[in-house]
Amino acid sequence: MLELRNITAGYDAGTVLRDVSITVPDGAVVALLGPNGAGKTTTLKVASGLLGTRSGQILVDGEDVTNKAPYQLARHGVCHVPEGRGIFPSLSVTDNIRLQAPARNFKASLGNATSVFPRLGERAKQISRTMSGGEQQMLALCHAYVSDPQYILLDEVSMGLAPKIVEEIFEYLHDLARQGKSMLLVEQYVAQALKLADYVYIMDRGTITFAGEPGEISEETIMNSYLGSLAS
Amino acid sequence: MTEFLVFLPSGIAIGSVYALVALGLVLTYKTSGIFNFAHGGIAAVAAYLFYELHIRQGWHWAPAFLVSLLVVGVLGGLLVERLAALLGSAPTVMVVVATVGLLVLLQSLMTAIYGSANIFMKSYLPTNTLFTLGRFGVTVEDLAVTGFSLGAGAGLYVLFERTRIGKSTTAVVDDPNLLSLQGTNPAMVRRLSWIIGSCFAAVSGMFLAPKLGVSVNTLILLVIAAYGAAALGRFENLLLTVAGAMVIGVMVAYLPSQVSKISSNPLVQNLPGNTPFLLLFLVFLVAPTRLLTERGVANARRTRPIRTFSRPVTYGGFALLGAVLLLVPTFVPNAEMTQYASTLGYFIVFASLGMLVWMSGQISLCQMSFAAVGAATAGHMLQHGISWPLALLIAGAVAIPVGALVSITAIRFGGIYVAIATFGFAIAMQQVGYYTSILFGQAQRIDVPRPEILGVHFTEIVPFYYLCLAVAVLAGAVVLAVRASRLGSLLRAMSDSPTALAAHGANTTLIKVVVFCISAFLAALGGVVISGVPQNASGALTGPFSVTVSLVMVAVLGFAGRRPIASPLLAAILFQLIRIYPPFNTEGFLKYQGVIFGLLAIFVAISPALNIRGAIARVSSASGDRRDPSAGPVRARLDSAPVKPVALRSTPVGAEPELVGSGKGAGR
Repeated sequence: MLELRNITAGYDAGTVLRDVSITVPDGAVVALLGPNGAGKTTTLKVASGLLGTRSGQILVDGEDVTNKAPYQLARHGVCHVPEGRGIFPSLSVTDNIRLQAPARNFKASLGNATSVFPRLGERAKQISRTMSGGEQQMLALCHAYVSDPQYILLDEVSMGLAPKIVEEIFEYLHDLARQGKSMLLVEQYVAQALKLADYVYIMDRGTITFAGEPGEISEETIMNSYLGSLAS
Repeated sequence: MTEFLVFLPSGIAIGSVYALVALGLVLTYKTSGIFNFAHGGIAAVAAYLFYELHIRQGWHWAPAFLVSLLVVGVLGGLLVERLAALLGSAPTVMVVVATVGLLVLLQSLMTAIYGSANIFMKSYLPTNTLFTLGRFGVTVEDLAVTGFSLGAGAGLYVLFERTRIGKSTTAVVDDPNLLSLQGTNPAMVRRLSWIIGSCFAAVSGMFLAPKLGVSVNTLILLVIAAYGAAALGRFENLLLTVAGAMVIGVMVAYLPSQVSKISSNPLVQNLPGNTPFLLLFLVFLVAPTRLLTERGVANARRTRPIRTFSRPVTYGGFALLGAVLLLVPTFVPNAEMTQYASTLGYFIVFASLGMLVWMSGQISLCQMSFAAVGAATAGHMLQHGISWPLALLIAGAVAIPVGALVSITAIRFGGIYVAIATFGFAIAMQQVGYYTSILFGQAQRIDVPRPEILGVHFTEIVPFYYLCLAVAVLAGAVVLAVRASRLGSLLRAMSDSPTALAAHGANTTLIKVVVFCISAFLAALGGVVISGVPQNASGALTGPFSVTVSLVMVAVLGFAGRRPIASPLLAAILFQLIRIYPPFNTEGFLKYQGVIFGLLAIFVAISPALNIRGAIARVSSASGDRRDPSAGPVRARLDSAPVKPVALRSTPVGAEPELVGSGKGAGR
């Protein structure tokens, strides 16, 4: 279980998250929704250790990992695929996978990756910056496969991609869910995310405004949460 | 051909040392995106420490070598890594200011302790000949140096191409956070590469010590020669870097013998030894643009624009400044007036540099080369009986094409590569250009007499001061006019985002050429004024037009601020004037002036990363109340209904009644 308990966090002088608590149970997919600027990305950054907390706790399987560095959290089985393209643009596809994989397990990981993403196998030697956006995102997503994590944090992995590719990406997410991975999912494609999710959190202006199951919320709730600040 | 073979072994020995230096440089640049101008300084410090322990303290060479390696290579590497980390998101200009500041610091420190004279040092490795190649005997020393360098190159190649940690060194520049997310500690990767890089520099410094003698200036110059090899390796490719170093080494060893057959002209004979610097500049003139990509710029933060003073403050300030400058001769004794006159000269050069650096975001490490062109041209014109004002204008005009030539590198590459190219240009000028008869000639000296215009004897220092003041006011006016003009807006836009400006349809190429030309013109005027004070100009290493001065000026302007007039004036005063007044007129200050300037430059460059203001704000907000109004009510609500996973179904936080259970398929 990955737990964020009463997290307050922010950048420099500004506070972004106020008292945010989120739980990702084992094997569950949790969708984190909300309008731009709600603090979704910041929440993921805190959960993976990229951003320190002001107060609150982060627990992985009951162990307190608050304010540990990302590479330490990665060793606890947390895998964060960040916003944008989570790849090293100057490195080749193979070398990207080499860095994603555990140090001792590169050969097997590479085989695993190319069987899941055949297209990456075809482009093994290519510098990743020269690939298409969809291919880059698959390479980024590859991290969730080769590092064998327990908790996968996904930040808008569908952003800027063609609908067809988005569908393909979601196929992979479903696949990961079927493998029993726990996921914390930040998504713009709300319908797709809700189909996948076991639990839903809605954030607005740095706080959790709704927590429940996908069945409990209506389109209206979502619309309100995205447009609420406009309506009021 | 046989003759070529004779020189081959010694060429390879020289090339090996170049390779070692260049590899360290490329490694750290690849890993941090920080081009370390102080790389040569590190080599020099290691050489001096080795000399201190081995010769002065009488240690055996092996422990002395090891201790120097540990102190300079490992500890020094860790220190530079900290500096590089703090510079990680600094704009390119500030990175150059900091690393040039470090170079100035180390150079000044070594000179202050050991003097600038070349210290002879006996070979510590055995020099007996192992075998002969043609007429050339290969010694144990040569073999050790070459073997070590080639081994280091091969080791690095394997590290980079075959290992995870090697790949991490490239990845860490692309995105350190992502690397951390993937389970590798980016700080560890950076430390490792800076330690390796500094150890390479340290070893090369100690290898070179018995060959060249221990001298900070010689060592720094030699290390810059290795930049040529790094440039041939595109600052990226390790194998090409080693190959480039070998080619340069062989050229340096072989060409002098060939050139002496062709010509006895000392200028031509001077050329081969300076191949590396010429090559360095040439690479930037002719290499295809796509081959050189700048590293680490994507993470750079923008500099905040300076706050403009209100109109009354600006005008009042200028009026006061004008009055003080006009009245200077009334309260300053004549003996000290020369310092004031040359301060005005340096102000002009600083202003030209400031326009280039702060307004257009481009760096020039060859500003004094422009000034030298001006001074020398004015000298020649005055010797031909041309009147002083006309000579001044011609001097400025002659510098314009030189500025345009240098701007080619800016058009083609930009960013850090302009700094490296201008550095190469400055050294090439110093080593070759200054000796040509159109500049200072073989004598390295040209008279620049003060004039007599319309019966006024500017040969006297006070009238000459007013003449300098007039030129300075003219230069200041040009800078302000550029700033206020459309060109000024374009320059600031270009410094902010060249791509966006180009997308708006502005011709950034033309802008770059124009700003370099204006800057060169102004620097040349400054050069004329500076050389008019002692009434001669010299291209000597210790003279005002040396590369070192250009470097120190960048460091000083780096911490003097980004204002168009006030900052260059402050810089000129700090650089030239305060040394005649207590408490700065002591020998100690003069000795350690470079150390202080270097430290200040480094501090200013890294201060945004230290986030002093943020730290103060955090301390004060932690002690006081939480001032955020929205924090209160939200917290109260959540406290009353804490989110627990088991309670998810029954108590959705903040859910309004009508929203609960209104069916699935939301958002469809």
